[in-house]
Amino acid sequence: MQYILEDVINGILMGSIYGLAALGLTVIFGVLKVINFAHGSLLMVGMYVAYWAVILTGLHPYLALVIVVPVMFLFGYFLQDIVIKPIFKAEKAVREPITVIIVTTGVWYILDNLSLLVFGPQYRNLQDNPLRGKMLEVGGMLLSVPRLWGFFAALLTALAIYLFFQKTRTGRAIRATSIDREAASLQGINQYKVYNVAVGIGTAAAGIAGVSLVPFYNIFPSVGVLFDIKCFIIVVLGGLGSIAGALLGGMIIGVIEYVGTQFMAATWTEAIVYGLFLVFLFLKPSGLFGVKYEW
Amino acid sequence: MGRNTIRIGPLVLAGVIALGLPLAVRSVTYLHILVLLYLYAYLTTSWNLVGGFAGVLPLGHSAFVGIGAYTSTVLSLQYGISPWIGMMIGGILAAIVGVIIGLPTFKMRGAYFALATIAFAEGIRVMVENIDNLGPIRLNGPRGLQIPPLNTGLLNFMFATKEPYYYIILFMLAGVLLLTYAISRSKLGHYLVAGGEEPEAAMALGVNVARAKLIAMAMSSFLTAFAGTFWAQFTLYIHPKSVMSLDISFEIAFIALIGGRGSIAGPVLGALLLRPVTDFSRIYFGGKLPGLHLIIFGVVLILVMIYQPRGLQEPLTRAYRSVTKKLFGHTEAA
Amino acid sequence: MRERSICWKAYVCVLAFAFVCSMAFLADRPALAQPKVVKVGNILPLSGPSASVGQQNKNSQDMAIEEINAAGGIKSLGGAKIVMFYADSESKPDKGVAEAERLINTEKVNVLTGCWNSAVTYPTTAVSERYGIPFIVPVSVADKITDQGFKTVFRIAAKDSWWTRDQFVFLSDLQKEFSKKVSTLAFVYENGDWGKGFASGWNKLAEQGGYKVVMDEPYPSTATDMSPLVQKIKRANPDILLLVSNAADAILITNTMAEYMVKPKAIIASGGGHADPSFLKAAGKNARYIFDIVEWETDVNKPGAKEANEKFKSKYGYNLAGESVDGYIAMYVMADALERAKSLDPKAIRDALAKTKLAKGPGMIVGYDAVEFDATGQNKYAALVMVQINDIGKGMERITVWPKGARRAGYKPVFPSP
Repeated sequence: MQYILEDVINGILMGSIYGLAALGLTVIFGVLKVINFAHGSLLMVGMYVAYWAVILTGLHPYLALVIVVPVMFLFGYFLQDIVIKPIFKAEKAVREPITVIIVTTGVWYILDNLSLLVFGPQYRNLQDNPLRGKMLEVGGMLLSVPRLWGFFAALLTALAIYLFFQKTRTGRAIRATSIDREAASLQGINQYKVYNVAVGIGTAAAGIAGVSLVPFYNIFPSVGVLFDIKCFIIVVLGGLGSIAGALLGGMIIGVIEYVGTQFMAATWTEAIVYGLFLVFLFLKPSGLFGVKYEW
Repeated sequence: MGRNTIRIGPLVLAGVIALGLPLAVRSVTYLHILVLLYLYAYLTTSWNLVGGFAGVLPLGHSAFVGIGAYTSTVLSLQYGISPWIGMMIGGILAAIVGVIIGLPTFKMRGAYFALATIAFAEGIRVMVENIDNLGPIRLNGPRGLQIPPLNTGLLNFMFATKEPYYYIILFMLAGVLLLTYAISRSKLGHYLVAGGEEPEAAMALGVNVARAKLIAMAMSSFLTAFAGTFWAQFTLYIHPKSVMSLDISFEIAFIALIGGRGSIAGPVLGALLLRPVTDFSRIYFGGKLPGLHLIIFGVVLILVMIYQPRGLQEPLTRAYRSVTKKLFGHTEAA
Repeated sequence: MRERSICWKAYVCVLAFAFVCSMAFLADRPALAQPKVVKVGNILPLSGPSASVGQQNKNSQDMAIEEINAAGGIKSLGGAKIVMFYADSESKPDKGVAEAERLINTEKVNVLTGCWNSAVTYPTTAVSERYGIPFIVPVSVADKITDQGFKTVFRIAAKDSWWTRDQFVFLSDLQKEFSKKVSTLAFVYENGDWGKGFASGWNKLAEQGGYKVVMDEPYPSTATDMSPLVQKIKRANPDILLLVSNAADAILITNTMAEYMVKPKAIIASGGGHADPSFLKAAGKNARYIFDIVEWETDVNKPGAKEANEKFKSKYGYNLAGESVDGYIAMYVMADALERAKSLDPKAIRDALAKTKLAKGPGMIVGYDAVEFDATGQNKYAALVMVQINDIGKGMERITVWPKGARRAGYKPVFPSP
């Protein structure tokens, strides 16, 4: 019992990274109203981009953000433009085109296996990066330094995205489109351009999550699959489209994993997370902070 | 050519071909592929009852496959009960679970419903994976259950060759197609379609949409469980990742969506097209360029969804219509 | 429910027709009538989560086949060359079964081998048993594979009950050598067929040995974070930690344990992920002093072992590991049996395999003396060695420490870990 504080704090730190990973998903989900099954793959791409950026330039992983963020933004922008936009165009009247789910699944299969072909199945690691293995000792508790960095990255990214949506013209246009895309386009907003930017932002966020993971995680083609379902659970927990919700949802999951494992086998904490997910879906489907979503 | 001939003729022809195929196809591998093809056509047609007619997107049907497979296997391994009976029991169990899942989830729309079904299916899988013994029942967790290929014969649902399996699944497929046809013409079918497209209007007309959906879900899960038993008896080994994984749920839904959900033959069409793509690309590329077959699958998925979001049955129907019009002066419809 | 019309039946039959026509063309092309070729089917996980090890096995077996063919092929069959047909199981049992069916019936292979994942090997061997095609299992350790009473299955690696037995024998030897007693054990293992199999063996052996088990914990191999698990290990404070892990989780657990400064007296791993070359690369210094049990190590004192490893390394960029070596010698065992069978008849090959007594030859780079199969098809001499990962001046490497006779000259194992 005396370890509870240490577990909760560590859970919050790792959970904030989960939240960061889910941030991109909640933005895309909230704006486009589609389930993006390729999100885990985007995270994987982000990790590979971060990995290669550090290897080729020798930069500190967080400095590599300068490369990762624009690359991922453009990647997401064009992914939406080329692959997903045609479906939106075809299904103008439908509020939630379900076929996009299939397309994103196709993207997932393609991205994961393309990276298997190109990069090979082996596990890569940033062995000698400055953050590896560093721990902070605070009052008898051991806190993981790379995860601490991830925590701050998550907060800053969330803040940045929030400010973007509130203060900038494009941000407001995105919010308008997410509420009612027909009305927004009547106001002169190019909804497709809005979607492109939204997906770009979401993908860039996945890239940042990737950067915060590479200092201590393995990089391999199917790494995205591990995070995929977890991100969906977090998004539902926190509320569709809610940035604060994604972070909070991630932290809750993190705490459950860390604290729960002390009392039961790690395999059962998985079941608990699913259980919690279902409870939220039924009792409070809009999540902790979500906008009331009409059924 | 009368209208009725155009209607019945092709059906008879399809039936004859299907019945006679095993005599023409001597290759065991191709028979195996065909059996799996029919199995998936069966699964997607059963799925179609909820996913097509009721207009929602259930992505957790693997749970029912697993329930069917585990029920009949446990009953036959531990208690010596014939798999046929086990199949029925598994179906009933699955139907109950299906209704339990459906009750709260049908209130949700679109993406949320899909996610909820995923969560249910994964939750069930995680539990089965972690439980070695449920009281006296041996589930064996992740190690799965193996069915020894000992007593063959119809009663034991076990055969040494592929042909009996072929006919059984063909029969099941024909049955479920007939059922779908019957439902589409029945009140239930109309309730479902109305409830799927315009729920408010339907309810205003006094249709109990919720009840219709639950009935459809119960039927769908009941039938899906049969496929689980068939799978267990065909491959003789089950474990949570092979009969309850998300992959299966996705594959079923995607085949139906690509073929055209909501139509009777859409799912079958989807299976006819996609299963060979999966199997053959794995055969030809799997050994040399690993993962290429999945890339191809992904590309096919995307292309079909961009160009034919209602499923491939739409352009094919139009093509067929123009052909019959040219040949016989009219189509089978008005 | 758009077009409710009946034409669906029509195009269903049109498609069926097209299908039949294509079948007629493709179905059962007669096997290329070339008696100068031996066809081998190899089912491996080439995509999916085990792709890394599947690839390693493919490489080692390719190397063996190349060598055998270059040396003249199977001389008793007129110099027939061996041709490998690879199939991807994706680590899924049903795919493995389907591929086995295809390899036997369409490609008409003479021998089957595979499948690495025990869950895939298990039902796939049932398929080959039905057709009477000999199946050589290089790696899959699940006891039940040779306990099924099949006549066509031959396994090179040791059964998992032998692995667990040897781990405990090593443990008691270690205590004797250093005159230090250990009393508490922690079992942490991947939540699959393999891990659970080991765990049940361990529990029995712990009871026999009078040890106290302070932690018995399966974990999902696909977990995104090992910190909670590691914290639990730390707080349980075991003397000895026994692990069964795949490569990704092995790396994560090792690195996380270093972060949280968890230092049991010794860590005994079970091969698999810990033996994967990428583990050592990724874990680096953190893996120091870990004991690992494997079939083979690069410093094994056998003629040809070093050369084979050098050749493999220069071709593929990483060392051979126990499992890839099993694949390598499996091919030599097969070639030897083919020479003695003098025919491609499955029964003849199967009988020749059963009589295998292979002790010498370019393939025999394993630490033990011979390959000989008992009545269940198990290689009765399969023996294991224990290595310790340490840096004695040439970088982090794996050093054979047990049995005493196999120990690398001049090395004394470090126990307990400092």
